[in-house]
Amino acid sequence: MTTTHGPALGIRAKGLTKTFGTKTAVNGLDFSVEPGRVTGFLGPNGAGKSTTMRMILGLDAPTSGTVKVNGHRFTSSPAPLREIGALLEAHAVHPGRSARNHLRWLAASNGIPTTRVGEVLELVGLDSVAGQRAGRFSLGMGQRLGIAAAMLGDPSVLVLDEPVNGLDPEGIRWVRTFARQLADEGRTVFVSSHLMTEMALMADHLIVIGQGSILADCSMQEFMTDHAQSYVRVRVKTADVGVASEILAASGLVVGRHHGASGPELHVQGLDSAGIGEMLGRHGIVLHELTLVSSSLEDAFMTLTADSVEYSASEVAA
Amino acid sequence: MTTATLDRRAVRPGFIDALRAERIKLLSVRSTWWTLLALVVIGVGGTILICAPNAEWLSEPGADEAPGSFITGGIVFAQIFAVVLGTLAVTGEYGTGMIRATLAATPTRGRVMAAKLVVIASTLFVVGTVTALLSYYAGNYFFEKAGIGMALEGDVARSIYGSGLFLAGSGLFAAAVGFILRHTAATMSIVLALMLVVTNLVLLIPGDTGRWITKLMPANAGSVVSTPVPFNPTLLDAWTGFGVFAAEVGALVLLAWLVLRRRDA
Repeated sequence: MTTTHGPALGIRAKGLTKTFGTKTAVNGLDFSVEPGRVTGFLGPNGAGKSTTMRMILGLDAPTSGTVKVNGHRFTSSPAPLREIGALLEAHAVHPGRSARNHLRWLAASNGIPTTRVGEVLELVGLDSVAGQRAGRFSLGMGQRLGIAAAMLGDPSVLVLDEPVNGLDPEGIRWVRTFARQLADEGRTVFVSSHLMTEMALMADHLIVIGQGSILADCSMQEFMTDHAQSYVRVRVKTADVGVASEILAASGLVVGRHHGASGPELHVQGLDSAGIGEMLGRHGIVLHELTLVSSSLEDAFMTLTADSVEYSASEVAA
Repeated sequence: MTTATLDRRAVRPGFIDALRAERIKLLSVRSTWWTLLALVVIGVGGTILICAPNAEWLSEPGADEAPGSFITGGIVFAQIFAVVLGTLAVTGEYGTGMIRATLAATPTRGRVMAAKLVVIASTLFVVGTVTALLSYYAGNYFFEKAGIGMALEGDVARSIYGSGLFLAGSGLFAAAVGFILRHTAATMSIVLALMLVVTNLVLLIPGDTGRWITKLMPANAGSVVSTPVPFNPTLLDAWTGFGVFAAEVGALVLLAWLVLRRRDA
């Protein structure tokens, strides 16, 4: 990969807004996707991820705001497939056409030599089934074909909408490794998902979106520190619970009283387990349990987006 | 590993590239070949079915129809498959979501549309002309036996490539409607109903109004060029009619382009 595209590499959105009738799908997004790293685009279903990606590709016109790819609107790209490789959510393939012919017409549309078709088929491991009709492909093979199509033009920017959706563990790992590799080559990689766990393993940077607005835009590391909360679970004799709680609270720690599986317990934040143990020890309180509990990133994501999930389970129940 | 051999000197793709892509698309699905095969078989077969039993009668002095009205008689049936081809080439992309891949690869939407229309029209012109030529030879075999054979010249020759033009126009008509409706069944039923049913229903409208509507209906105006002598003598002349048909197709294509340009894909 060379940096022959000028200074403004990557994707830049400014005030990007899309409304469908009275419904605002995407609301004033400002973000940038930088080259050389995998940027995860995370949000619950219906958050506006696909709409944003379609606007990047010029398929949907923004109601207001702009989104530019490598410094210009994608629709004015001189060589679209060499600029952006896109994997779209729906398998944008005619079921009656063979994988090779699907790639052939795509290559032809951008003046890409046919020899490149064989290369990308090999790249994604579909060379042995290239003559088969795409309609017979499994979900995983379909995703691979989509990635082969995205790689046809050896693009500097990749936009992958839910690339691991429906894949088996082996396929998921393949996509993850592949995305990482593309970023390491200096490309801009923008990957959407509704699965936090998947993003945690793949992305360097995270843009979290809920109901069309950005909820977080930070490095994966920052996100973990800020949102993945941990606490120390403390269990003492039932008679000591009240005293222990007062002692800890008096030292400025955040203490919550809960009923766990084995009786009452305290959830303490603000000090590590050793410090808590020593503090209670000085007051002669016998500890039954002292455990550091990390809430998962998935929990953090759920907490962050809880208010923005369009159709939550409780709503359905009510 | 991913960069392999692709030349990084960006070649600015143009209309020719879009044309190549559309040609590959059209020829790489089976439905195209089945549709074209059906067009030829039904076109030629239809002509035989019309000419064979009528040859004797047409040679008699009291015949009130001209053999020229029969010699490309199958083309009216072939028209159905031209409509199917034009529809599928467009709505097939919407049904599968492939239109997004197409427009992401070629964001200049007018170019995509123009390339598609050129490929549809040229394919149908060639296949339609060949079908008409085969129809002529097949039908004329029976006419010659009855002593009323026609030479391949004048209006007869014009009806051969005229059939190609009429079928190409019918395919474009359907393709344009396809871009507007984006749905296979809706496009096919509306276009076929218009071409085959409404075209004949308007004959029932009385007076001058009815006569003019009949003359101007796309399938009426466009089909005169595909036959040496039209069955209905009140229709427009071959090239006047075709001009009207071409203008109708052109207006639909313009509308389709305006819609495609503005609409989210």
